[in-house]
Amino acid sequence: MTRAVVDERSLGPAGPFPAGVPGGLRGGPLERQWLHYAFLSRGGDLAVIANLSVLGADGADEPPHRRGIVLVHDEGGGWEASQFNASQQDVPWSSFRLPRPRGAERFTVAAVAGSPALDVRLRGTGRACTSQCAPFGDGEFLRWQSEPGVLGSGVVTAHGRAREVELTGYHERVRGRWSWPALGGWVFGFVNAAHDAPGCAVVDAEPAPPSASVVFTLVQPRSPGDAANGSLMLWRDGRLVRHFPRRCLEVAVEGGLDRDSVVLVPPLAELLDAPVCAMVPGRLVLSARMGRDHLLVDFTSRAAARIANPCERGLRPFSVHETLGPCRVRGVVSGRPVAFDTRGIVEFAGGADEY
Amino acid sequence: MSTERADAGTGAALLRDTVVALSERAPAVVAAAAEQLRGIRLGLSFNDGTAASLTPRRGRLVVGAGRADAADVEVVFDDRAMNLLFDLQCRPVDQVLPGSLDVRGAPEQVLAVWRAFTLLSQRGSGLRFVQRLWEEYRRRSPGLWGAVPAGGGTADVPEATGWTALDYLNRRRPAPAAPGGAAPDWSPATAPRLLWDGRAAAPWWEELPLTDADLVETMRVCRDRVAGEMRRLIPDREPRRDLYDLMRAYPARQGKGLRPTLTVAACVAFGGRAQDAVRSAAALELFHNGFLVHDDIADESTHRRGLPTLQVAHGAGLAVNVGDGLNLLAVDALLSNLTTLGLARTLGLIRETLHMCRESVEGQAMELGWIRHGEVPADDTSYLTMSTKKTGWYTCISPCRIGAVCAGVTDPAVLDRFDEAFRLIGIAFQIQDDVLNLVGDEVLYGKEALGDLWEGKRTVMLIHLLRTVPDPEERALLRKIVLRPRHEQNDADVRVVLRSMHRHGCVDYAVALADDLAARGIAHFERDLDVVPENQGKAVLRQIAHYVTSRPL
Repeated sequence: MTRAVVDERSLGPAGPFPAGVPGGLRGGPLERQWLHYAFLSRGGDLAVIANLSVLGADGADEPPHRRGIVLVHDEGGGWEASQFNASQQDVPWSSFRLPRPRGAERFTVAAVAGSPALDVRLRGTGRACTSQCAPFGDGEFLRWQSEPGVLGSGVVTAHGRAREVELTGYHERVRGRWSWPALGGWVFGFVNAAHDAPGCAVVDAEPAPPSASVVFTLVQPRSPGDAANGSLMLWRDGRLVRHFPRRCLEVAVEGGLDRDSVVLVPPLAELLDAPVCAMVPGRLVLSARMGRDHLLVDFTSRAAARIANPCERGLRPFSVHETLGPCRVRGVVSGRPVAFDTRGIVEFAGGADEY
Repeated sequence: MSTERADAGTGAALLRDTVVALSERAPAVVAAAAEQLRGIRLGLSFNDGTAASLTPRRGRLVVGAGRADAADVEVVFDDRAMNLLFDLQCRPVDQVLPGSLDVRGAPEQVLAVWRAFTLLSQRGSGLRFVQRLWEEYRRRSPGLWGAVPAGGGTADVPEATGWTALDYLNRRRPAPAAPGGAAPDWSPATAPRLLWDGRAAAPWWEELPLTDADLVETMRVCRDRVAGEMRRLIPDREPRRDLYDLMRAYPARQGKGLRPTLTVAACVAFGGRAQDAVRSAAALELFHNGFLVHDDIADESTHRRGLPTLQVAHGAGLAVNVGDGLNLLAVDALLSNLTTLGLARTLGLIRETLHMCRESVEGQAMELGWIRHGEVPADDTSYLTMSTKKTGWYTCISPCRIGAVCAGVTDPAVLDRFDEAFRLIGIAFQIQDDVLNLVGDEVLYGKEALGDLWEGKRTVMLIHLLRTVPDPEERALLRKIVLRPRHEQNDADVRVVLRSMHRHGCVDYAVALADDLAARGIAHFERDLDVVPENQGKAVLRQIAHYVTSRPL
């Protein structure tokens, strides 16, 4: 059976998700697949963020571009980041081409220099959710799948020092076709309630997921005017129990993070023509309400790394601010209270007067 | 001691308190809502059984107690609708439950009412004092949101839920302590703002959107900052008792802070730093206080800002000398801008200040001349000229121009754009001041009640009275009374003049004239100052322009 050839733009974003394209991405340089991993150590003193991307081929006979970056932040040494050429597995954990991994599997990503590096076994404890599709610009779109409550156990190397860690985090698969000017920016973040299972047993028995997790997104494309989209989702014991759509959501910020607390990465980014960045909000609050359910997320920025991404259509980079800080979650969903204080990771993307 | 009103916590009380607070602290918001209503009389009913009426009148909103007799539009709220009104984000059809907000009237009037509510909600809900009123109402009437925990309004509400994000940020200061107790690494210097309200997005990286200023708070801050600068400028040396202490004491009788606010706001409106205008605003205040001391001597006034005038307390000789000294210090303060603002701006400031002083003394000469020669102008034109010169310049026009000069604006064509708008607003302000002298509460007003009548001051009311009294005998009697020197005046005759003014509609005439002048001034403000980009400074200037129309008379 052959599939009819259609102009994808006339039908909107392609589905189903994640429809891996045999032979790689052929939709041009704006076609993208991202695998995003973000973890916090149980003690809260270490944060690890990795992003592995596949960008569409420039020509019919050329291979897609693969890139990877890994960042680590520890309380003592601050941020350390690889360049965009981080070493990665041929088939990373939760690849687009594979079904969702069962059990614990190895995941590695490392700077060519050896530090920072991540060599852990990861295990999902909850159910992933195809979060949303955000169409914008001229036929561009972004869709993603969220999976909080991912547990990890292994070795993290930061500032040349390797150490055994237990991690709790978040994984995301993003697919779409977008250009940076059209995408504008976003605010995205996740928090997992503190997860106490010692050793997290990623190898042996099925570990329990965090008692609660929250993932939120606010996508703010530059055009059209009504393209902004957002959501806030709550997982309980690994299962998505409430999705607050954009009409039920309010997002507010206050103050700004001290500029000295924002570090520009990767190291080579300083060679790019990176313009002055906008002030990273000091505090982010999301409130959602739907019927009798309501949820409030109160995040305070403590440190941020500004990732300057090269732009395919211009010389100026696009900025993603990976921001760490404490977070308070309160609410009532399905008649049950939600209340936990934890640490979270929030991305503020855009905002450097790139275009 | 404050006492709680009997209807506290009811919907009607909330409406009244909100409108009163907005009228006082953000009059531009009320004026904009009144503009939408345009004569539509509203009858409002709340599910707690209370009712009120809301009537637009000359840029104000007047709240009446009880059910309206002949309302054009009837509005019935329940608690959910009240909460919705405050957090107005969506079309009512999307959010309001059947029956929770019932608006009845002619379709175009219903739409106008909804526009007015939307405007009040969107612009009012960003103001802290309005939020406090509504939070208190929510606490008493949990409605949609659930009860605010005990202790709401304090810095730390431990288990707050069900809040909107912006509301929560406005109530929660500072942020919860970070694990480990370290101080936060972020600055709360910028006010909370919405990135997403369910319908519209504001990029997190963009500048803060403009909000309506809380005028009372803004004026307080400007006044206090400038008062501190004035205290610094007055020397702490001998002779203290007979000069410098008196100099310090007189400005301490603080007024509303109108001039300092205009000066600072104009500077900010043109892109300057507020700090750059403080010294010049202090100089203006010193000049002003010097003039007041001399003015009180000339007028034989007994009270100023609620206290005996300087010549009453310390004698005319010392008072004259203190006035001279204040003027001298003002010149010194202006010159001291040389090191911070540079030569060009300082020369510009001196030029503007000299112009202001010249206008003021000319205006004073006109008014004192009328009294000296027993004249009362036959029409309002002479009064308007005198008022422009005597008070219009130093009260409104010059503070704006001087603020702009502090920001580096020296082009006369740009500076002149303030003139007509603030001339009209200044005269309106002066007329209202004169009306308050007749009908206002002395404690609130701060000046001697009926002092203008005792002094025979040529106000719009007096000019109108002597122009319109038809009976020649009555007119002759009134003229004889008002032309009498103050020390020959008596209370009974002053009361005769006051009753005549009320009987012949002089107060109403003055109020209407002030409203007309203010409206024209606001129109000039929007038209002439369209070269100034919308920013926080301009927002404050706009609030002051509307402040004149919303003063309680």
